[in-house]
Amino acid sequence: MISFDDPSWIVIPIILPLAAGLLCFLTRRWAFAFSLAASLGNLLASGILLKQLLSVGPLSYNVGNWKAPLGIALRIDGPAILMLLMTAVTGLGITLYARGYFSFRISGQKKIGRHERQERFFWPLWMTLWASLNGLFLSADLFNLYVTLELISIPAVALAALSGKPASQIAAFRYLLVSLLGSLSYLLGVVFIYRTYGVLDLALLGSKTASGAGIGAALALMSVGLLLKTALFPMHFWLPPAHANALAPVSAILSALVVKASFYLLFRLWFDVFASTITEPALNLLGTLGGVAIVWGALQAIRQQRLKLLVAYSTVSQLGYLFIAFPLAYLEKGADIWAAVIFMALAHSCAKSAMFMAAGTIFLHAGHDRINDLAGVRSYLPVTVFAYAIAGVNIMGLPPSGGFIAKWLLISSSLNSSQWWWGLIVMAGSLLASVYVFRVVSRFFVIPEGYHVPDRQPHSPLLEWPALVLALVALLLGLIAPYPLHILETGSSLFAMVSQKGLLL
Amino acid sequence: MTARSTQNKRKRFDPVLLLVLLLIVFLTGLLVQVILATDYLGSGLGDDVARFQDLSGVESPVTAVLLNFRGYDTLLEVMVLLMAVVGVWSLTRAPFPKKPIEPGPIQLAVVRLLAPLMVLFSFYLVWQGSHLAGGAFQGGAVLGGACVLMLVSELPWLKNISSRFLRIGLLSGPLVFLGVAILCIVLQGTLLDYPQEWVGTLLLLIETACAVSIGLTLACLFAGGRPKDDLSGGRKR
Repeated sequence: MISFDDPSWIVIPIILPLAAGLLCFLTRRWAFAFSLAASLGNLLASGILLKQLLSVGPLSYNVGNWKAPLGIALRIDGPAILMLLMTAVTGLGITLYARGYFSFRISGQKKIGRHERQERFFWPLWMTLWASLNGLFLSADLFNLYVTLELISIPAVALAALSGKPASQIAAFRYLLVSLLGSLSYLLGVVFIYRTYGVLDLALLGSKTASGAGIGAALALMSVGLLLKTALFPMHFWLPPAHANALAPVSAILSALVVKASFYLLFRLWFDVFASTITEPALNLLGTLGGVAIVWGALQAIRQQRLKLLVAYSTVSQLGYLFIAFPLAYLEKGADIWAAVIFMALAHSCAKSAMFMAAGTIFLHAGHDRINDLAGVRSYLPVTVFAYAIAGVNIMGLPPSGGFIAKWLLISSSLNSSQWWWGLIVMAGSLLASVYVFRVVSRFFVIPEGYHVPDRQPHSPLLEWPALVLALVALLLGLIAPYPLHILETGSSLFAMVSQKGLLL
Repeated sequence: MTARSTQNKRKRFDPVLLLVLLLIVFLTGLLVQVILATDYLGSGLGDDVARFQDLSGVESPVTAVLLNFRGYDTLLEVMVLLMAVVGVWSLTRAPFPKKPIEPGPIQLAVVRLLAPLMVLFSFYLVWQGSHLAGGAFQGGAVLGGACVLMLVSELPWLKNISSRFLRIGLLSGPLVFLGVAILCIVLQGTLLDYPQEWVGTLLLLIETACAVSIGLTLACLFAGGRPKDDLSGGRKR
């Protein structure tokens, strides 16, 4: 009855975590079982969708069998499937880590009730957030994308506040305000588009290219909204406190996945839908802000005294690379537009979630995350420290990591298009990144004289191994680099193809 | 010391605020100009909605768009509302007063009269949604109003409502909606592609369940926290 060619596989990554989220809220006892089942099912569905994409090309699916202008379409092309797979792999790692994290804290018998509360509400929020992330990657409708953005930001804010400490609640409240402002700005842009063209479908909009004051304003409003959510310098002010004060699995989710979603949408709008409207000054502005973000974020990361804040500022810095790609992608054609961005997103997602998980494990065992007092951690958390170091290799962009491939693509494309200054910033950023990575790693590995190794607290392997596996995935991404590029080439011509066939009723 | 500093704060003129104000005024002016200058090419999707109205199973175009043509949006919106409640529950317990306050006789009489009427009216609104203005959101709002009326009257039994009962109520809408959506895949092969002979009934079922959820959602947001037995499993009663 169920065949691998069934077009309905495309909705599984949305409805499976959604159903799991509802059930997790209903019963607390089976929450992890439901979540794990949804994570594995989601990975399976993503794999099947990849197989379908490779055999027949980009897929399109009309929800409720209503065709494009009236109904909502879901689409899968190369970038979408890679983002889907990224979320599936990182999400599975985070799900397993969260299990180890919460069971370790609950077994600690400190502050009974608080940890139960955190675990009880983590699962439904995380599953729903995951469903909406997948929904955003798959959606091809401007208003439906707004709904998925909302369904991302509400659980994300609730997760950021979950730790219950005043600092995290203040940060989460600020995050809520920024996120709502971003959503409303995006919605105002959608209103302009709908009033001008009368359609919301991305492919139909891509075929109706006209420029005017309304479209310019719409694109500006939507972009500002999404930039706020993506935390591009100088709109990054909310990110470090919100990501650093959250619980470790939550920090991993927010830093690895949530900021990528709004970025993906922004890139898609600029280069797939409104490609004819964008101008070179706007691209250069984004590239410049990205360049400043790389340097500023890295300098701030070097200055931090707390490990989680350092990792959070590193996210600010790494997001800058994604925006350097804007002026470079403008001159590229076809699949190459997406290549550097997708590699950066994939590698950063795996590496950053591994870093936050490692930081969380160290925090749990040491009781603090002051970098200066963390000497000798490797004596009792060897796997975690190893994972942190490997993730650091990826953040610095050393071969063979995925981060190296991304930076290589950026630098070579900056030289090819004779915009060498962007390449210079990328290299400077890598140098600064190595400073903040080595500053921490060197302390981890050195055992000071007269150091008393603390007793190793018993904990489940889930607390250490998911971080290492994700860090290794990021490291080995560079070795299989041709494969993602092949996927991108198969699926990138979606928008041209769909508009030729015509989607009208 | 504190008094002086607050006074200083009041007197001090913040140049940053002025800059922000100027920026907002400038952007608003720009926005107004763009709204006036935009030329509207398309006529929207009103004609398409009218063409397919007969197939949607309801007579009201708003309900047809919300639950049939763009039902997927509404499914996610219902989830957004649920997530708002989950978020509030994750933060704190509902702040009910320790000592029960005896409501006045007039207030009690009014609540006894109004609350059932409002519940009745909310379901009337849901039913009316199939052919006129109305539907799950309007009905749910009135239902939520009824619950808020009971909450402000501080009826003593409200704080003893068990968490499981509330959760089932809150989840009824999303669960029924998602269940129907999955049922459509099994029967028709496409998400939310309602079978033509059942479409009216299914839409009414979804709307009723969603109205209950939305009403409870609004009431729970007003109560401002989780019920007291949500984590302890009734231990602290």
